[in-house]
Amino acid sequence: MHFLAASIESLGAKVVGWFTVGYGMFAFLGRAGLLLLEPATWNRATFDVVVKQVYFTAVQILHVFLGYALLISWLIITIILSTARDFGLVEFASEMTIRVLVLELLPFLTALFVALRSGSAINTEVALMQVNNELDALAHCKVPPMQFEFLPRLIGGVVSVVTLAGLAGLLAMLMGYVAIYGANSAGFEPYTQTIAKIFDLKIMAGLIVKCALFGLAVTLIPVTAGLETPKKLFMVPVSVLRGMMRVFFAIVAIEGMSLALKYI
Amino acid sequence: MDGLSDDVARVSLDLPLRANLSALDNIALIPLYQRHYSAPESTRLAHAMLEELGYAGIALLRDPDMTPAQRFVTKLARALSLKRPRLVIDRPGAMLYDVPYPAFIAQLAAKTETAGTWEIFDFSWNQALYRA
Repeated sequence: MHFLAASIESLGAKVVGWFTVGYGMFAFLGRAGLLLLEPATWNRATFDVVVKQVYFTAVQILHVFLGYALLISWLIITIILSTARDFGLVEFASEMTIRVLVLELLPFLTALFVALRSGSAINTEVALMQVNNELDALAHCKVPPMQFEFLPRLIGGVVSVVTLAGLAGLLAMLMGYVAIYGANSAGFEPYTQTIAKIFDLKIMAGLIVKCALFGLAVTLIPVTAGLETPKKLFMVPVSVLRGMMRVFFAIVAIEGMSLALKYI
Repeated sequence: MDGLSDDVARVSLDLPLRANLSALDNIALIPLYQRHYSAPESTRLAHAMLEELGYAGIALLRDPDMTPAQRFVTKLARALSLKRPRLVIDRPGAMLYDVPYPAFIAQLAAKTETAGTWEIFDFSWNQALYRA
């Protein structure tokens, strides 16, 4: 009986904890959203920090990311093409390539890439700022941390994931064409028709929204996890661990929801 | 100290610099975000402040690369940029353990032209240092 009560208590505490974390995250997002609507937010200083964030998150890693996207795309396209040939379904290879790579795999891998590189860095930096009282110092100087530190990271994350996923998608489509039709213009018409058939307005909007949600997840969750850190230095690794686990589950949940909305 | 009003600018161990920003950027944040100056103008003002204190050479240093005295000067410059009527230096011995600090603070105070008052909060057992 005691074991049962303890289990229920523990489960209850966990559920309350999840709700508290979720509430904290959405409340933070709400505050950021309201700040975005204020004209005073859009000054040169905030814009400069946003540009810096986009540079660190997307531009600085562009060559590595494109190389990685190229490799993954080439592997997947080769697998799809050889399987399609084995089953005599070559005419579906281009559609399969675009659906698997451009709509699903590349945005997902982009989000993971940005999460591992920038999300973990953001989580660590915010946790250290919290532990070292740097946020209190900014508050004392009346420099708004949301405007100076957090909002540019959220905007930078969304812009970076949408742009990187878009670039990777374009690269994959180009590779898909070359792999299926070779380096000539013979397949241009059927290939562009397939692209036009897949990318209707709904799919296009869904892809952009999904990438934007990925971008938000890989920045918002690390920021809020960093802010939750108790003021003890040894809690920083724990904060990063928790934050990155949440990011992973959020990315999987967004991908799962997107798949369910599209195919179920 | 948390109960101090908004007309007090504090220099304290509890109010560190932003670790990933240079001394110049830490100071320039104040005119940039509080008075909405442009980035070049804020940087110019921050540089002028460091020059006034005789520490223009530390402009590009970040917190971990500074000596305790350099860090103190940057925090002081940041506090002076706030242009508040009272400046409170909170337990200077905790920040300035590499220099004879009462004389050091007096030197810095002599270099600046501030309209407000400077107050030092220190432990009573350090009073003898100020009489020397």
